[in-house]
Amino acid sequence: MKGILGLALEGLLRKKGRNLLTMSGVLIGVFALTMIVSLGEGLSHAITDTVSGSDNLRQIGLTGGFGIELTNDPTNVEIPGEMEEERRERLKRAAVNRRQIRQVAGRRLNEIDDTTIEKLSKLEHVESITPVVIERYEITTGEFHDPAKLTFGVDVSRERYKPRIIAGSYFSAPDAKEVVLHEYLLYKWGLLNDSDYEQVLGKEITLKNIVNGNDDPMQSAPPQLQQFAASLDEEEKKAMQVLLPKLMEQMGVLTQARKDVEATYTIVGVLREAEPGDTFNVIEDGNSVQADVFLPQETAKALFLSSAVNVELGYPRALVLVDDPENAPAVEQKLRDMGYTAFSVASVLKQVETMLTVITVIIAFLTGIALIVSTLGIVNTMITSVLERTREIGIYKAVGATNGQVMSIFLTESAMIGLIGGLLGLGIALLLMLPGDVIASSMIAEKAAIPYKGNVFVVPAWLAVAGPTMGAVTAVLAAIVPARRAARIDPVKALRHD
Amino acid sequence: MYLTGSIGSVQGALALVEATRLWREYHLGGEVVEALRGIDLTIEQGDFVALLGRSGSGKSTLLNLLGGLDRPSRGSIRVGGIELAEMNKRELSLYRRTMVGFIFQSFNLVTSLRAWENVALPLVFQGIGRFERKKRAHELLERVGLGKRAAHVPSEMSGGEQQRVAIARALVNDPRMLLCDEPTGNLDTSTSDQIMQMLLENHKSGATLVMVTHDPALAEQHAQRTLRMADGQFLSEVPA
Repeated sequence: MKGILGLALEGLLRKKGRNLLTMSGVLIGVFALTMIVSLGEGLSHAITDTVSGSDNLRQIGLTGGFGIELTNDPTNVEIPGEMEEERRERLKRAAVNRRQIRQVAGRRLNEIDDTTIEKLSKLEHVESITPVVIERYEITTGEFHDPAKLTFGVDVSRERYKPRIIAGSYFSAPDAKEVVLHEYLLYKWGLLNDSDYEQVLGKEITLKNIVNGNDDPMQSAPPQLQQFAASLDEEEKKAMQVLLPKLMEQMGVLTQARKDVEATYTIVGVLREAEPGDTFNVIEDGNSVQADVFLPQETAKALFLSSAVNVELGYPRALVLVDDPENAPAVEQKLRDMGYTAFSVASVLKQVETMLTVITVIIAFLTGIALIVSTLGIVNTMITSVLERTREIGIYKAVGATNGQVMSIFLTESAMIGLIGGLLGLGIALLLMLPGDVIASSMIAEKAAIPYKGNVFVVPAWLAVAGPTMGAVTAVLAAIVPARRAARIDPVKALRHD
Repeated sequence: MYLTGSIGSVQGALALVEATRLWREYHLGGEVVEALRGIDLTIEQGDFVALLGRSGSGKSTLLNLLGGLDRPSRGSIRVGGIELAEMNKRELSLYRRTMVGFIFQSFNLVTSLRAWENVALPLVFQGIGRFERKKRAHELLERVGLGKRAAHVPSEMSGGEQQRVAIARALVNDPRMLLCDEPTGNLDTSTSDQIMQMLLENHKSGATLVMVTHDPALAEQHAQRTLRMADGQFLSEVPA
């Protein structure tokens, strides 16, 4: 066998130019395939790495629900009555369409308030439920003023934001009357120098709820009343504006009159922007990324609930932490069945990864066409080679080569073309990934809000093996027909061949 | 039908080749060409048989059948007691590998292989390792006086040298029978003599030789038996 390998190698070296060209087809195919698959792999790693740390896979984002299951599937709708099937189908679609419209327009039935949180916390596998407290307030501290800044309640005990404090200190307690300001807010206020932070640290800051300029009670009236009011003349409207709030309160539509909310806290620290290497928490940080004012969770809750509207409407969303990532899908489903809107980071991640895999496979398949084209080149080269070496094949046979041995010479030769081409393709891909990583990383840094430090191209061991193997295997398959032709050559005729 | 069919030497108990009523027909276009027409032949171990005849007389066809490169259409051909007519292609390959050595008019060396690699070629297909192949090839090149030319490719050698390489290759697997197809046909007179001497030496040391030639002088000068062929049959046998 060693000798046959030698004969194949010798045949390969005899026509270097032609075989190099043939090889380059395999090279390009394997190169492109390696790049595409490793990019898909790298992106998938990037997503997983970013998300899998910091309890992400144990998290479920919870928002209020409509108390009914959403459906876009007309087959779930039952339309009774004797009618043509076409009409029944139309009505089903109409029912679905109207249900969707009603859901979008209607008020949420299942709100996230402290009672629901307490109730849902008792569900199996749920470790904790923390409301995500975000709200806009008008803020004032000394000479600085801002009409609407986003505040965010920080779970103090988990200390996730503690490493990001660059001046002053972290919160002293979950219900401390303290705030931490984002460095960007201070920069916008004109505190350009590092030493300027001292100007605000320890100062008082006032948070005030934002009241609409036209505090029209009609705004919060039911649609029927609004329609009715629109038909009134100016005199009647003025009377209505006085009467309506009272009427609404009587009817229980508006439980409490609006009132101003105002609180004063102490500025204790400055928070920096997130950096690569910080843990990223999808639900928490997804909400806090635009916040400028950070409060301890309990303080933020107390402030939030001091508004009657907030008490009525509940928290915008809550963060459910389950005991184990494996239980996240089950809890997610349970919450949905109860009529809430819930999504677990794990299931979203799974969807994204599935999508990424599908895209990668499709592109890899298209790239595979390059490999298929290269096999045609191999077929051509091998047929030519067999024709040129007819006499030589006759000699091999005269000195005792079996058909199988003749065939294996050509198969080995082709396998070497494929293997070497594949290895070169892999090697060039690995080389180009070094600058490729730098370019892709900077592109991601420009576009993405989440900082990421890892590699964009990742070559898993299986890919490093599969690329060249695929090159060799396709080359062997391509050579089967020419090699069989070589094996079947009649030695008597071949020896007479010129 | 078999007017001059059976001309063999006195059959010994250990005849190397026994062919009976050997036919070989080719289909060329719509026509049937009868290259061999029912010949009988016996060759003893150690014989030197010359097959003499014009081109198309069937002598090369007979040589190909003896060498297992071709199979008869009808009849029997036994070499060393083994029936070649019943062998499949693989068995014929194994037969060629171990039982015969070919020497051709046009040398038939692989042009891209060095002398020793050409000599060692039959050993490759026997699965013999490179070290052993090289050793045996060098021994045989020494024997044909080309010990110093082992690393040269055929294009760097004269015709006579190339034929000596071919002889070395034919001998490398210790065959029972050397089959020579016009071995000196492409060589000048003095080189021809050299090659013939070399073949005769091998014959003297016990090799069985079958040589195809169209040169009666060559046949009569060296061979023990000369079989004249025409139209696929033997005309006469001229013992030496």
